[in-house]
Amino acid sequence: MTDPNPRMSLGALLRRPETGSFLGLAAVFVFFWIFGGSNFASPNGAASWLNVAASLGIIAIPIGLLMIAGELDISIGSMVPAGSMTCAIISGHFGLPIVVGIGAALALGAMVGLINGLLVVKTAVPSFIVTLGTLFAVAGLLLGLAVIITGTTSVKLQAGPEAKLLLGHFIGGVFQVTIFWWIAAAAFWAFVLHYSKYGNWILAMGGDKVSARNAGIPTDRVTIILFMCSGMSAAFVGLSQAILYNSAQVSAGQSYIFNAIISVVVGGVLLTGGYGSIFGIVLGTLTFAIVNQGIYYTGFDANWASLIIGILLLVAVLMNNTFRKMALSYAPKKKGAKA
Amino acid sequence: MTIKKTLMRLAMTTTAIAFGATMALADGAVIAVVGGKADDPFFAKVKKGIDDGTLVVQAHGGTVNYLMLQNYDNIGGDAANLVRTAISQGASVIAVPNWVPDAQDEAIKAAQAAGIPVILYNSGGADKAKELGAINYIGNEEYTAGLAAGAYYGSHGFKNVICVNTVPGAQNLEDRCKGVSDGIGKEGGVSTQLPLPASAFGDPTAVAEAIKATLLGDPSINGAITISAGDANSAATGIDQAGLTGKVQLASFDMDGTGLDRIKAGTQLFAVDQQPWLQGFLAVTMADAYVNYGLAIASAPVLTGPGIVDSANIDATLAGAGAGYR
Repeated sequence: MTDPNPRMSLGALLRRPETGSFLGLAAVFVFFWIFGGSNFASPNGAASWLNVAASLGIIAIPIGLLMIAGELDISIGSMVPAGSMTCAIISGHFGLPIVVGIGAALALGAMVGLINGLLVVKTAVPSFIVTLGTLFAVAGLLLGLAVIITGTTSVKLQAGPEAKLLLGHFIGGVFQVTIFWWIAAAAFWAFVLHYSKYGNWILAMGGDKVSARNAGIPTDRVTIILFMCSGMSAAFVGLSQAILYNSAQVSAGQSYIFNAIISVVVGGVLLTGGYGSIFGIVLGTLTFAIVNQGIYYTGFDANWASLIIGILLLVAVLMNNTFRKMALSYAPKKKGAKA
Repeated sequence: MTIKKTLMRLAMTTTAIAFGATMALADGAVIAVVGGKADDPFFAKVKKGIDDGTLVVQAHGGTVNYLMLQNYDNIGGDAANLVRTAISQGASVIAVPNWVPDAQDEAIKAAQAAGIPVILYNSGGADKAKELGAINYIGNEEYTAGLAAGAYYGSHGFKNVICVNTVPGAQNLEDRCKGVSDGIGKEGGVSTQLPLPASAFGDPTAVAEAIKATLLGDPSINGAITISAGDANSAATGIDQAGLTGKVQLASFDMDGTGLDRIKAGTQLFAVDQQPWLQGFLAVTMADAYVNYGLAIASAPVLTGPGIVDSANIDATLAGAGAGYR
């Protein structure tokens, strides 16, 4: 599906799944370049949307993979604060080494993911409902435990210089180090989805799960692993925020659910599964971040921010859809024999 | 067996004596206090004030019964039911926050019709207390708190302040920002609200970057106040990223440990506190004084906030926070 086309013609380029996403991104970038002035185009302006895109992107990729495989994970909305609170309680409140806090947060993410995956696989209840349950369950558990342990819903955390350098550092004073974690995550997942057998498995599962299982793909195992990855990614974003902002709150994180799904869909992944690419998700996340943060560089009254965000996202998705249709309906004349 | 029996008899006798003692002492006020969950960090401090006030009530021969909401799912209806519970328990005075007047007013009127005086605390406001004929209102008023914050900025030479609102449309938060604007206006300054869309709520990076962009776009801004303590942590990063630490002064409504540390370190100007301990303590002791001796404070409302926490009182506040009072 992703075999590089030997003839790099314009038509072939336009039919790549990412082309629509890229044009959507370009459109919103030019929009804010015109209305945002010199601040938007400066490195500091670029940092504004790259920083936001980075933490969202780390979560959006595994969510995208789950959606490609025909599943959904909304428990990330609780896993982000759970990750940051776990890290802050262990390393801030109890003062244990930061690696213990980081390890515990990631382990919690993996565990919640495992529970999600097992429930989805064993009960055949739609993953939207299963993870809706764990979304509330984790939020309640987090609030209850946080108050019992610390007596408050907001815990402070002073991480050491090494942890700050790796997870809470600003490169050049403005670029969050999270951006590099995002790039690393994207490279890793791009390899998995596009260059390993697991990628074909994931795409096949989204296309038709029963056929995929009949073809010998261990669909249960792949589903569980994907849920564990999304849980760990959300916990990772949570703990890096706790280290960056020196504190953790119980309530933060619900907006990631919607934002991640929007980024994935803007990035060209089909809501019904079976179609999508990592590069597309990355572009979708960038588009979403630019639309959300660019507004503050313009002279527009911030009261209208949500309206402009909505319209620009629609434009981006419509552009994307148009090009995807072209890509799916167009058949190169010389390969007409292919069924 | 005999030892066990003796112990049981002893225990029963003790209980009987204790029960009799309570009955004998119950000549004083029977105060019913409706309140929030004890595991809510805000109400934990209110509850501490109630517990401390209870010592006074007990010294006067009275009792305090804390009727706690089990959850916040149906806050108005549940609070109304707790007021009716207090009526049927034969309370001699009821202290209750009027969170949802539409749902609670009827129960409060029923209490007064049964001859039980009511005192409003934490929520409701002076006008509501007057309308219902309550003894008084003890608590915070959001607009007044905003006014104080605006005046503080203005009188310290900061004349252009943004009020960062992460939940635009919520009445109490709009009141806070409106107050900031009016308060700084009296000092010759201006304050505009920065409303953030729902997609930024709970994402500290999105909040921080929005504040950074706004500050870079208008170099005349020299103050930023957030509507919650958590948002102040994001704002601190946003100001830092804009390279404006020291020039743009940060403040917040409410406070947490990280914010108090910033005030101590000098990177945050102040925090506006509504002093919840006072709400609980004053509600109980005033109810006690009213029922027993007909005493009532003439000032109405009795405002427990805004209390300003800044470099002048940060050490005492940190000590209070450590002990659970702040």
